[in-house]
Amino acid sequence: MQRRQAGWIALFLLPTVALFLTIYAVPLGMTLFTSLFDYRLFPSRMEFVGLANYVQLFARDAQFHRALVSNLIWIVLHTTVHIAIGTILALILYKKPRGWKAVRVIYMIPSIISNAAVAMIFVNIYNPSYGVINSFLKSVGLAGMQRNWLYDPATSFISITIIWTLFSGYNTTLILSQALSLDDSVIEAAKVDGASRLQQDFLIVLPLVKHMLATTMIMAATYMLQMFDLIYLTTRGGPGVTTTNLPLMLYKTAMTENNYGYANTMGVVVIALGVLCMTLINKLLNTRED
Amino acid sequence: MTQKALTKGNNRPLRDSRSWYARLPAYVYMLLCVLVALFPLVWVILSSLKTNAQILSSAVSLPTDINFDGYRMALQVSPILRYFFNSVIITLLSTFVNVFLVSMAAYVFSRTRFRGKGLLFSILALSMVVPVTALMQPVYQVITSLGLSDSLPGLILVYVALNMPLTLLIMRATFAGLPASLEEAAYIDGAGFMYTYLRVMLPVAKGGLASAAVMAFLNSWNEFTFALVLTKSPAVRTLPLSLSYFTSQFSFNYTALFAAITMAVIPSILVFALFQEQVSQSLVIGAVKG
Amino acid sequence: MKKVLSLLLTAVMLLAAVPALAEITLDYPTFQVGVNTAAPVIAQLVEEFNAQHAGQIAIKVEEIPGDANYIEKIKVLLASNDLPPVIYGAGYNLLDLALAKELLVDLTEYVDTDPEWKALYNDKAFEVNSRDGKVYGSSSEGNTIGYFYNKELFEKAGLAGPAKTWEEFFAQLDTLKAAGITPVSMDTADSAWVTSLWMGAMIATSGEEGKAFMAQMMPDNYNTPEVIAALTNIQKMFMEYTTLDAVGGKYENAANAFLSGQTAMIANGPWMIGDFSDTTKAPEGFSDKVGVAIYPEGFAYDEPIQGYLVTKQDDPAVVEAAVEMVKFFTGAHAQTVALEKQGMLPASTAVEITQAAKDNFPLLAEFVEALEGARIRTATTQATMYPNLLDIMSAELPNLANGSMTPEQFAQALTDGAAKNK
Repeated sequence: MQRRQAGWIALFLLPTVALFLTIYAVPLGMTLFTSLFDYRLFPSRMEFVGLANYVQLFARDAQFHRALVSNLIWIVLHTTVHIAIGTILALILYKKPRGWKAVRVIYMIPSIISNAAVAMIFVNIYNPSYGVINSFLKSVGLAGMQRNWLYDPATSFISITIIWTLFSGYNTTLILSQALSLDDSVIEAAKVDGASRLQQDFLIVLPLVKHMLATTMIMAATYMLQMFDLIYLTTRGGPGVTTTNLPLMLYKTAMTENNYGYANTMGVVVIALGVLCMTLINKLLNTRED
Repeated sequence: MTQKALTKGNNRPLRDSRSWYARLPAYVYMLLCVLVALFPLVWVILSSLKTNAQILSSAVSLPTDINFDGYRMALQVSPILRYFFNSVIITLLSTFVNVFLVSMAAYVFSRTRFRGKGLLFSILALSMVVPVTALMQPVYQVITSLGLSDSLPGLILVYVALNMPLTLLIMRATFAGLPASLEEAAYIDGAGFMYTYLRVMLPVAKGGLASAAVMAFLNSWNEFTFALVLTKSPAVRTLPLSLSYFTSQFSFNYTALFAAITMAVIPSILVFALFQEQVSQSLVIGAVKG
Repeated sequence: MKKVLSLLLTAVMLLAAVPALAEITLDYPTFQVGVNTAAPVIAQLVEEFNAQHAGQIAIKVEEIPGDANYIEKIKVLLASNDLPPVIYGAGYNLLDLALAKELLVDLTEYVDTDPEWKALYNDKAFEVNSRDGKVYGSSSEGNTIGYFYNKELFEKAGLAGPAKTWEEFFAQLDTLKAAGITPVSMDTADSAWVTSLWMGAMIATSGEEGKAFMAQMMPDNYNTPEVIAALTNIQKMFMEYTTLDAVGGKYENAANAFLSGQTAMIANGPWMIGDFSDTTKAPEGFSDKVGVAIYPEGFAYDEPIQGYLVTKQDDPAVVEAAVEMVKFFTGAHAQTVALEKQGMLPASTAVEITQAAKDNFPLLAEFVEALEGARIRTATTQATMYPNLLDIMSAELPNLANGSMTPEQFAQALTDGAAKNK
C-alpha cells in the first residue's frame, strides 16, 4: 500500500512544488541573501555587511521598534476580535435561522469591494468637517467629542484598526462551510446530557471545526503581516509613525529610500514572524499533526 | 450578549425552534452585521449619483438630482468594460487551475504520511508571508524570461501561485476535518488512490473547495500590483487598473470613480450570490456524509 | 533531422531580418491618461507623430493611470534593466535614478547639433536636465505656480487685492477670519502639495540664504532659520486660518474648499483653471470670481519640469527613433499645443504665449501678466527634495498642525529623513 502510494503522492505534490519554485523560491532566497548587504539603487551600490542591517534594525532603529510593536498588536487583535466577530455569525447562521442565506452573501460584500475603495469610504466616514461620525455626534449634541479621527495621534491607531476589523466575511464563510459539512450524527454523538446551548455551540461545534478555525487565524495573522494598501491610502503611516506597520516601512525603505538591503532585512523579520504565528496558532489549537 | 440568551435553550435539535425573544439577540447580531456590510456599498452607489462638490462636502447626504453622468464619464474615460471581461477570464481560469492543482497537494498533506512532510509544508507555507514588495521585481523577471510578460497565461500563472498558500491551508483543513472511515471504506472496496481522491474525498470536500475558490476568486479579482507590473496592452489588463483613471495628482473625478466601482462590484456580488446558492445546493445533494 | 534544422535556421534568419524592414515600435508607458490634465495633449501628439512617421516609427502607448503607479512600475523595470526607450522624469526625478544605473543616453550631441532644439533650452532647463555638463533630458512643461484667490470673498472682507508682503498677507488672513471667512486651503496627505507651495514661497523670499536653499537639488539640512521660520508660519496657518479637514486632507479636499467658496485662497498652478468652470466641481459662474496672483515679495515658482529621457537600448535604431520622439514631444509645436489646449505653460521662454491661449484661458493671461513682476523664481520644494521626504511631510504635518511637534522638531525629522539617502 505505502509503496504504491509513493508515486501518487509525488504526482499530487508536483504542481504545487513547481509553483513554489517558479514564483516564491527566488524572492525568498533573494530576501535572505540581500539582507546581508548594503544594497541600494541610489546611490547605486552592493557591499557585503554581514549582520550589520540586523544590528541597526534591532539595536538602533526606533521607528522599526514602533512599527514592530504596532504590527504585533494588530496581529493579536486580528486573530482574536476580528475572528470572533465572524465566528459568532457563523455559529448563528449554522442553525439556519430565517434569512441566513441572504446574510451570508451580504456579509461578504465588503470583501468583494476592493481595498482602494474601502479606504476612500473610510476617509470620508472619518473626515472631520463633513464625515459621518462627526456629523452624527453634532446632531445628537455631542459636538465636543468631534475629532479628526484618522489624523489625531490619540485616535488614529484605533480608527485604522476598525477599518479592517469589522468585515469578517471570509471567516464566516470558511467556518460556516466547514460546520455545514459536519454530520448531524457526529454532533448528536458529541452531545452530553444536559449540555446547554452555549455548550453545544462552543464545546461541540467549535472543536469540530478547529482545523478551519486555525486556518482563519493563520490567514488573519498573515493578512496583518501583509497589510499595506488600507494604511497607505489613508494615513500613510502617520501621524508620525503611529500607524506604521512593517510592510509599510518596508515599502518606504525600498521604494522611496531605495535601500533594498535594509528593506529585505525587514522582510526577513516579517517572514520569521509569519512562521512564529503559524507555529503558535497550530500549537494553541493542537492541529499540528493529525 | 448572545450567549446569555442561548443558555436558556436546552439540548434542542439542530434547527432553532425557541420562541422569538430567545432568538432575538441572534437576530440583532445578524442585523448589525448586515448593516455594517451594506454601508460601504450603499455609500458608493449614492456617491456615484452625486457631483464632485457634493461628495466632498457631505458624506451622508442623498444626491439632490439623480443623474448618470458619472457612469457615462466612467465608460468614456476608462476602458472599464474591456478590462472587466479580461478580469472575468483571468480570474475564473486562475481560480479553477489553482483550486484543482493545490487541492491535490492539500489532500496528500492531510491524509497521507511521507518523510519530510512537515518540513515541506512549512516551506510552502512561507509563501504566505513573503512581502509583496520583495516579490515584484523577481516575479517580473521570471515571467519575462518565460516569455509570458504581457500575456494572459503569465498573469494567470502568477495568480495561481499567489493563491497557492491560502488554498493549501483551507483545503488541508477541509480534508483534515473529514472522518478517516471514508477512505478506509473505499480502500476496502478495492478503490485506488486516484479514484478515492476524485470520487470519494473531493465530493465531500465541496464546501471547502467552494470556500477556497471564493477566496482565490476575490483575491485575483482585486489584485492590482502584479496586474500593473506584468501587463501593458489593453487586451490583458484587468479591472482594478481601470479604477485608477479617475484620480491623478492634480485632477479628479470622484463621481466617475464611484460609478466605476459600482459597475465593478454589482456584477461580482451577483456572481457570488449565485455561486453560493449553487454551492449550498450541491452540498445538500452531494452529501455522502459518514 | 538536418532538413528540419536548416528549415529552422532559415526561419530564424528570416525572422531576424524582418524588423529591419518593418517600422520601429516605441513602447511608451505614460501616466498622462484618464483625468490627468495633460491626457488630451499626449493623445494628440502621439497621433501627429505616428502620422508623420508612418511606416518608420510608431509610438505604442501603454496607459498607466495614476502617477504613483507609473513610478512603481518604472522602478521595477529599472531594477530589471528593462526600461522602455522613452521615460518622463516629471516631478519624480527619474533622471538621477536611471543615471545611477547608467541606463540613460547622453543627449548632449543631439541637442548641440540641432540649433532649433538647443534654442528651446534656457539656463534653468539645462540645469534641470543635465548632470556633470551632460544633457540627459528635454523639458516640455514649465512649472509656473502662483496662487488663486476668491475676489468676492476678498471684497466681502474689505480687501483690495493680493498682498505684496508677508506681513500684509498675514494681516489679510486675520481680516478674512474676522469676517467669518476661512482664509486659505491647506492639505497634508499625498505629500501636502498645497501646503508645501506656501512653505517654499516663504523660504524663497526670506533672503539670500533662503533663495540658495530653494535652488539646491536634494538639500540635506532643513535645520536652517529660514526653513524653521516658514514652518512656524505654516503651523500657525494650520491652527488658525484653514479648514478643519486640512489636517489629513488630500489635494481634492483643499481644492473643493476653494471651489465651493469656503476658503478665500489656494496655492496651485494654472492647470486648475479648467476646474473653475467645471460645474460638477464649482457653482455656476465661479470662474468669474477667481483672481490669480504671484506670492508676496514678488515670488513665483518658475522652473521647467524635468523632461523626457532616452534610455539605452540594444538596437541603435530604437535609440534614434526615441530621440526623434523626444524632440517632437518637447518641440515648440508640442509646447504650443499643450498651452492652447490645456493652458499648460511652456518650459521654454522661447515659446510665445499665443493669443489663442489667452483667449481660451483668460485667467492664464492674467497670470502671465502678474508673472512679469516676479523678482524671485525657483523650483518647488517637491521637485528638489529627496523622494522619501514627501512621505515624511505627509506623516509629520498633522503633528506640526496640532502642536504636538515644534517647527524645530519637524525640520529635524526632514533632516533625519534626508540622511537616509546616503
